Amino acid sequence: MTCDDVRPRLTAYLDGDLDPDRGTVVRGHLRTCDACRTIAEQESVLRDGLRDLPTVDAPSGMWANIQSQLAAAEITESRRPGWKRALARWTPMLPRFAMGGVLAAAAVGILWWRTHESVAVEPAPNKIVDVASPKIESSAPIAVAPKTGCNLDAPAGTDVTVDLAGEAARVTACYAQTAAELMTLARETRGTWTDEQRASFDVQVADLQKAVERAEDGRPRQRAWRAMNRYLQTTLTRDQVALASAVTP
Amino acid sequence: MKRLALLALLVPALAFADEPKPQAPVPAPKDAKPSVVERARLEIQPSGRSFKKIQIENPLGDVRVEGYDGTAIQIETRKQGPNEEAIDRLRVSLVPNPDGTVRMKTTADGGPESTPLARGSVRIDLIVRAPRDAHIEATSSSGQLEVSNMDAGGDLDSGSGKITVRNVAGELSTHSVSGPTSLTQVFGSVDAQIMSNDLALDSIGGERLIASVNQGKIEGRRVRSRNIELTTMHGNIVFEGEASLRGRFIISSLKGDIDVKLRRNGVMIVRARGSKVNLGSTAKAGPDGWVETQHGKLAANESPATVELRSREGTVDFSLVQW
Repeated sequence: MTCDDVRPRLTAYLDGDLDPDRGTVVRGHLRTCDACRTIAEQESVLRDGLRDLPTVDAPSGMWANIQSQLAAAEITESRRPGWKRALARWTPMLPRFAMGGVLAAAAVGILWWRTHESVAVEPAPNKIVDVASPKIESSAPIAVAPKTGCNLDAPAGTDVTVDLAGEAARVTACYAQTAAELMTLARETRGTWTDEQRASFDVQVADLQKAVERAEDGRPRQRAWRAMNRYLQTTLTRDQVALASAVTP
Repeated sequence: MKRLALLALLVPALAFADEPKPQAPVPAPKDAKPSVVERARLEIQPSGRSFKKIQIENPLGDVRVEGYDGTAIQIETRKQGPNEEAIDRLRVSLVPNPDGTVRMKTTADGGPESTPLARGSVRIDLIVRAPRDAHIEATSSSGQLEVSNMDAGGDLDSGSGKITVRNVAGELSTHSVSGPTSLTQVFGSVDAQIMSNDLALDSIGGERLIASVNQGKIEGRRVRSRNIELTTMHGNIVFEGEASLRGRFIISSLKGDIDVKLRRNGVMIVRARGSKVNLGSTAKAGPDGWVETQHGKLAANESPATVELRSREGTVDFSLVQW
């Protein structure tokens, strides 16, 4: 394998995405090729640097606002005539054409005309993507994971290999059960909250539940459940203050 | 993952095979079943780049990580099982990556269905001596997880085993389902979360300390973190520390009692709610149910340290500790 073969694969290699055979080949090449190793190290340093950047917490209501604005914009967009949408797409390009000169503008225009002439463009159907923020119904029950029983031990007589294979699921079940218990406490308490507090709580929990559902099995899902538990604990012990503030990461 | 599997086959064979197998029976009580112990040692040197991160996953036993001033990683494994056949099923894989990450993982290979091997009958303990500036990510199950003398923080995850951290700098994150956690001499931001067991903190300093325990208590001594959030649902919180200038403390519990003793370095405002609140003789109860007191005189443009204590069903006690 040459440098030209290796370099396009370096990112995948560092990400651990290469299959074992290719990974071994790339690793072998890096042991002998200073140039490629330097590139790999530079990329690795860059990745580490990016990873070390501090995490900035978005305000709690930000995503809900963004989603509702996106939804509103898409609904508006979907109702506009097709020619207006096409015009709107190209309007931001006009200053660039002007700055690039008449010749460049003409060339681009011709190119645009030619490509659109040769390709039959099917008008995109007006598709309304439902990205609105979660509906807030203060009295709506909040679905949580069913009680699964928090037992980290596998049944007696289970072979160690099978036992290990099922461990992540058992740990996840424990976190889910804790969340269910906390949610029960929250349901008992929510009667004392204002409508605004209930709405805020429901939005936060909905977001955290989505994160749980989206997370991969194993440690990522456990992490998501822990975030849910942390939020519920904070809310239950600090009532109105926590409801108004962002979730602790 | 595939690399891991590949090397899981290769590395144990290559790395640990040259070590003689001292298969001495473990001294055990007379009624205990006989067991076989196999120990191995391995040292890996950095190839060009220093080790920056060490990931250890050992669901089969204890993990102990000790920082030292060297650059190599020294690993000692101890496998234990009822017989040699069981020992042969235990695997330790080691995957060094060019980015400075080293992964260690223990597993148990599948055996004959006719003779299932109970998890409790086998174990692998790992002792790792690592360069101090490596970041540690370690997970255990029911085994103990100990990390000491490290300078780049860690991320530790346990099922029911105890987590013990001593003399660690950098950002530290610990999670446990039902194992106790003890953090001592940690200098950096801390995030600790336990579902059902106790958390002990001693000599903690750093920008942030966030800890939550669902069923269990939190005990903190000599804590100097700037921003502190401690939460329990059903356990007490006993806390002794130092309020930094303009620090922010939120200590809250649903059903536990809260007892806080603080030294102050500037003006400090303390407010509390609870079934019974004792903030000292200068405290005043407000109409909103909060009891509040201020220590020190607030000058213009000065921001005080704020301490918020609340327990929905427990008592709240606060006292100022003088220098």
